[in-house]
Formats: sequence, C-alpha cells, structure tokens
Amino acid sequence: MSKPAVAGRIVAAPPAASGPPLKVVPVRHWGRAIGAGIVLVTLAGAIKGVATNDNLEWGVVGDYLFDANVLRGLRLTLAMTGIGMVAGLVLAIVVGVMRTSASRIVSGAAAVWVFVFRGIPLVVLLIFVGNLGLFFDDLTLAIPLTGVELWSAPVSEVVTPFWASVTALALAGSGYMAEVVRAGLLSVGRGQHEAAMALGLPQVGTLRFIVLPQALRVIIPPLGNELIGMLKASAIVSVIAGGDLMTAVLGISGVTFRTIEMLIVGTLWYLAVIAVLSVGQYFLERKAAEK
Amino acid sequence: MITIRGVRKAYGSVEVLHGIDLDVARGENVCIIGPSGSGKSTLLRTLNHLEDISAGTIRVDGHLIGYEERAGRLHELRESAACQQRLQVGMVFQHFNLFPHMTALENVAFAPIKVKKEKPAQARAYATELLGRVGLAGKESSYPSKLSGGQQQRVAIARAMAMRPDVMLFDEPTSALDPELVGEVLAVMQDLARTGGITMVVVTHEIGFAREVADRVVFMDQGVIVEMGPPGQVLDDPQHDRTRSFLSAVLR
Repeated sequence: MSKPAVAGRIVAAPPAASGPPLKVVPVRHWGRAIGAGIVLVTLAGAIKGVATNDNLEWGVVGDYLFDANVLRGLRLTLAMTGIGMVAGLVLAIVVGVMRTSASRIVSGAAAVWVFVFRGIPLVVLLIFVGNLGLFFDDLTLAIPLTGVELWSAPVSEVVTPFWASVTALALAGSGYMAEVVRAGLLSVGRGQHEAAMALGLPQVGTLRFIVLPQALRVIIPPLGNELIGMLKASAIVSVIAGGDLMTAVLGISGVTFRTIEMLIVGTLWYLAVIAVLSVGQYFLERKAAEK
Repeated sequence: MITIRGVRKAYGSVEVLHGIDLDVARGENVCIIGPSGSGKSTLLRTLNHLEDISAGTIRVDGHLIGYEERAGRLHELRESAACQQRLQVGMVFQHFNLFPHMTALENVAFAPIKVKKEKPAQARAYATELLGRVGLAGKESSYPSKLSGGQQQRVAIARAMAMRPDVMLFDEPTSALDPELVGEVLAVMQDLARTGGITMVVVTHEIGFAREVADRVVFMDQGVIVEMGPPGQVLDDPQHDRTRSFLSAVLR
C-alpha cells in the first residue's frame, strides 16, 4: 500500500483483518500554542518586574500583612460589609416587593427609592450620612401626629464612622438589590400565584413558600456579585475614616511613607476574602440550581 | 351545588360574559365546550373567584362566592375569606402550574399541611394514596421537571384532590399535552367522575371525553351559553347553527 488520499483510505480500507489499526492524528493548533507562549512570557516578565523591583520593599508587605491594625481594619471591613449586606438585602426585599404592588403610590415610592440610592455616588452618600450631625441634632423614633417619643438620641452619639459606613453601604446596596429582587419575583410566573391562590394559600404564604424559593434561584448569582461589589466598595469609607481595612493601611502608610506596599497588603486581603466568597457563591449557586 | 345567575364580566369596556345562568347539581359532571375567546375559561375562573365579576351571583353549596351581601350591595370579600372559600373548590390548570421546587409528593401534601393545618404524616400518607390513584406510585420524590406533561397534570389533579374539595374545576386540562399523553389524563378524570361524589366542571376541547363522561354539555360562544343538554342532544343533534358549525370544525 503506497500513500492513498485520506478520504480514499476510509472507503477503501478493508475490514480490520489486514494490518495494524491506523493511528489518529488530531489537528495541531499552532495558534493556541503561540498564544500560550506569549502569555507565559508576559506573565513571567510582569512577576519578575514586581518581585525584583528595588523600589518595592516586599519585606514591608510581609511585616504589615498580619499587623494588629491591619487585622482590626479587616475585621471592621468584614463586619460593615456583612451588616450592610444583610440590612441592604432586607431593605431590598421590602422595596422590591413594594415595587410589584398594585398601588401606584407604594410602587412609585419604591421606584423613587431605587432611583435615588442607585443614583447617588457612594462617596457622596457616605459623606452625607457621616455628617448627618451637621443638619440634624437628634435622631428620634416617634409615633407620627401624636407627639409620643419612643426613643431619641443625639446624632453625634449614634452616627459613629462605623455605623455611618454601614448605613451608606446598606442604602446604596438596597437600591441595586431591590432591582435584583424585583427581577427574581417577576421571574415566577402568574400560574404559580394562581395555583397557590386556588389552593387557598394567602398572599403572605404564597410569597414565603412559593414565590421566594423560586425567585432565589434567579436572585442568588447577582446577589453574590453584589456582595463582592459591596466588599470592594467598602474601601471608600476611608474618606470618613470608617476604620476599615483601607483606613488602616492608609493610616500606616501615612507614618511609614510606604504607600504602595501598604496598598499591596490591602489588596492581598481583599483578594483573599473575595476568593473565599467566590467559592461560597459557586456552591450556593449549585445548590440553588438543583431540581 | 353551583348556582350561577346573571353573571357578567367586563375587562374595561369590553364585556366577555353577557349574563350567564347555569346550575350544576351535586355530583354532576358538566363539560363546557366552545371556540376560543367564547368566555368559557373566564366563566370557570369566576367559580373560585380567580376572576372577579361585574354583575350577577355565583353560589357554591349555598355560599356566595367572592362577595358578601350587605345592605343590598355585593362587597368583594377580603383575601382571607376568599381563600377560605377556595378550600372547597379544587382547580386544575391548562399549564399544570406545579410548584417546580417541590417533589410530586410535596406538591400534593403542601396545601393540606400549610393551609388546612393537617398533620404532616397524615397529609403525606393521603398524598401517597392519591398519587397511587392517579397512577404515579413510585414517583413521589420526582421533581416536576423530571415528569412528562401527562404525569405533571396527574400530579396537579392529585394536588387539587388532596384538599378534599366538593367541586373540581378543570381549565382545558389536556390542551397543553402531546397527543399521546392526553389519554392518561382523561382516564384519571373519567375515574374521578365515575367514583362519584365530586362535582366536576370541565372546560375542554375533547369532544369524545365530553360525550362519554359528561352528564351535561354546555356550548358557549361570544360570552353567552348558546345551548346545553345531555351530550347525546348537544353533540349529536345540536339545535343552533353556531353549535353545528363549531362541532363540524372540531370533529372534522
């Protein structure tokens, strides 16, 4: 047998009996190999450039990575993101449900809420909340029109930098998350509501047992992104000295003048936390996608 | 069992039911047929107040459905009272509307546990029994997405039956099914009708089913009842041109 054309070989090939089986040779993707080579060379260059840079003192990064102030800042960042996320989500569910109300006033109010808190830059919102004491003296919980005061305290005592940060993060987050919640609620079809209604299930039960569990599947992935976004956005509370991770690393760099090193310390921590959150989100999504 | 008097229904300025009068006796099986847009599904949905009405009265077992008479006016019932009334009326939908996040068994046992506050073990036992009755023994832990359309609709029938209703409403229960799956659902409904006790109102395009199972057939067109009577009369010897032309179109 000489060298017949490949196509001819298939047709002409006698049954397996004669000769050894033909070897299969996959197509070589030279472009891919070249691309991978370029990537590896670039990456190696970048790592070398950063790692062996004389102007970067990696020792400083190591010294401060587990510094007490940095760790305290990290704890505060986690706390304000956590509380901000939960409070923001609760607000978002209320606003998202209000948005689907048949009453124009109720759904309109929710729309305005979303418009305002999605529209104000976080840094502006933060400075407003942080300086609430400039326009209001006391924070008062009262029953409207009766003059009965349930609770009252001076703003300066209540609105600490930490709580101002949490409030701003929660408000800003609620604007975005309300839209996510609304999209989730709308993803559950009319038929589900009717089936629940026909079984005599009241509206609250329908929301709790039928609509929300199904809406969650739609809501969870963007909510994971929202949490990661809020964690990163929390760095901005350093403008009102919120005491977070960013405030801590900037504070230290103000003393040591090693700004970039301290930012690397902050970056490593942010990336570490986000890596953990991403893994969590992956498993949550997988659980929600079952069935 | 069901008394419908002068029921009108309008969406804005468009009236889709122009005064319907109909009585359904206890244990009777009534099939409503008619072209699409004739108002038959709307009429069915007023029977458990999924749709409100503009005029007239609907009584099920003597109770005014969806409304309350006070000082010569009909006041629409609050949600909780409307929910209470729906307990005695089960409904099966064209698109099944099973709860996709629950297994077949959970779908059936859910409302008895959450709405009627039955003991979970007891509700589950009855749900298992009902699934067996609709030919789905062994499918208890399947999610709806793993079931065929015909199986889903049979779960939906079991779900409605689990509330032990006096009346069952079927809104085109086989219209969304592949042709080869229609038979299994109709067989379950036929079994339900034969075992007796339950009053059934079925909106359907299955003339064969109506002929075989219905005690009475109602033909609706353009928001009115054109004629009604025993299947032999309405289906084989229709008195009105509209009925004749509809039947000849459907049975061709």
